[in-house]
Amino acid sequence: MLDFTVFHTIAWPSAYSVYFFVIGISVAMFFFSTLSWYREEFQPLRQSGLYLSFALLVFGGLLLISDLSQPARFLNMLNPAYLKFDSPLAWGSLNLASFGLVSALYILMIRSGNGTNGKRLAVVGALIGLGLPIYTGFDLTVHQHRPVWNTPLMPILFVALSLLSGAAVASFLARGNEKLMAMLRSFMLWSGGATAAMLVSLLGTTAYGGTGAEITFMFMTSGTMGLIFIGLGMVLGLIVPIGLLLAPVGRQPVGMMAAGALLLVGGMALRYAILIGPQIVHTYY
Amino acid sequence: MSEELRLSSRETRGKAGLRRFGMVIDLRRCIGCDACMVACKAEYDVPLGVFRTWVPTRVVGKYPTVKKQFLPRLCNHCDDPPCVRACPVGATFKVEDGGFVLQHYDRCIGCKACMASCPYNARFMLPEHRTRSSITSVVDKCTFCYHRVIQNLVPACVQTCVGRARIFGDMNDPKSEVSRLVARHSTQVLRPEQGTKPQVFYIGADRNMSEYGRGVYDASEALDDERAVFNRNYKN
Repeated sequence: MLDFTVFHTIAWPSAYSVYFFVIGISVAMFFFSTLSWYREEFQPLRQSGLYLSFALLVFGGLLLISDLSQPARFLNMLNPAYLKFDSPLAWGSLNLASFGLVSALYILMIRSGNGTNGKRLAVVGALIGLGLPIYTGFDLTVHQHRPVWNTPLMPILFVALSLLSGAAVASFLARGNEKLMAMLRSFMLWSGGATAAMLVSLLGTTAYGGTGAEITFMFMTSGTMGLIFIGLGMVLGLIVPIGLLLAPVGRQPVGMMAAGALLLVGGMALRYAILIGPQIVHTYY
Repeated sequence: MSEELRLSSRETRGKAGLRRFGMVIDLRRCIGCDACMVACKAEYDVPLGVFRTWVPTRVVGKYPTVKKQFLPRLCNHCDDPPCVRACPVGATFKVEDGGFVLQHYDRCIGCKACMASCPYNARFMLPEHRTRSSITSVVDKCTFCYHRVIQNLVPACVQTCVGRARIFGDMNDPKSEVSRLVARHSTQVLRPEQGTKPQVFYIGADRNMSEYGRGVYDASEALDDERAVFNRNYKN
């Protein structure tokens, strides 16, 4: 007893994890819309995927702005006189703005029936969009003193999570289209498997890290955070739906949608735990 | 054969004509009176719940051989500061002559990237409402009392330290007291493995205080209670 310490707040609150979640789905939906130009199976997602992607992008952008303590100054992020390219956030803001612009133009082309330019914009948008989950992961990776965050896996993990959550949402938009459901099932299985492999690797290296990493591992795998990360994120939100997809019922629309719903719960829980968990230990020092 | 010291573009260690202010905290002389915290609060009207400088205390040992340890903390004004790199709009910057890491309050958007990047927890968010200052809802931190130092005064915490545990000066001047203390004594910096080159040096720091301890995982009930009160009363 008699110890006295000053507590500190976590820097990035849970709103960021919601942003990671919606922006990941937004990018994946845009990607599926782009795929529709090359794979017939994705045709039903060309418009619905695009509109949902844009809606989520707007929501995510507004969420990010509202989380700033000076929301009116978000324009500073687009001011060339202020922008500093040492920061991944600066690249992220440009990436977000350009993705929004290309998405809006793509919608215009689709609505005006201009397929040639629509296809071109779809490809450009998909490439720009790929930068969004990469930059969100990179945002975390660059903080060298944070266990879990400071790993080159983060950007790849966020790309896999983006595809996973996106495929889960798309399974609800597929309306039972068998060919599309089969493709989405493959996406869910492959990205789910990749996510699981990365998480196991991440947990292993964290558990065997220095004291800070070791305590972070303990915080993330026990108590409420353990329930969210391991219980909701890894077991209910990843292992169970993968098992469901591999079972005979997982080839039917109802089974896939059930797996999709669980994957969405897991995707949100994982992003929350990955964002908040590694910040806990730091608040005591 | 000696190798020439290679510095990053931000570092000013040993650069001719440039000052690099630093602080030595001699823990053998610190009595834990917290006068530094009070002086800092008074100098800047630092709001409740947040600190530019703070003094964690820990009682170690087993009765009757117990002792109280202190580790005064503040922004380390790193020679290679990660917060400057993290800020997307240049609101956090380093003054080349002096090495002060400061804030453009009118430019800060409140994204908290600098808070996330600081290994020393030196940064905090100012509350929305303040009585005597219009600077609100932006990130703040210790400035090494830049406004005093440019008038040839020492920082408020150094001025007030009754035990003279805090000593301030130009690390690039080999004749300064801080340079001589660092040269003659075994000193420690916090989180040296992060490569930030902190400019706050400790004499006699105990690893119990300076490193992550496993105690926080299985925290005592009292610590948990204090934590709950803090969470209830302080919102970002």
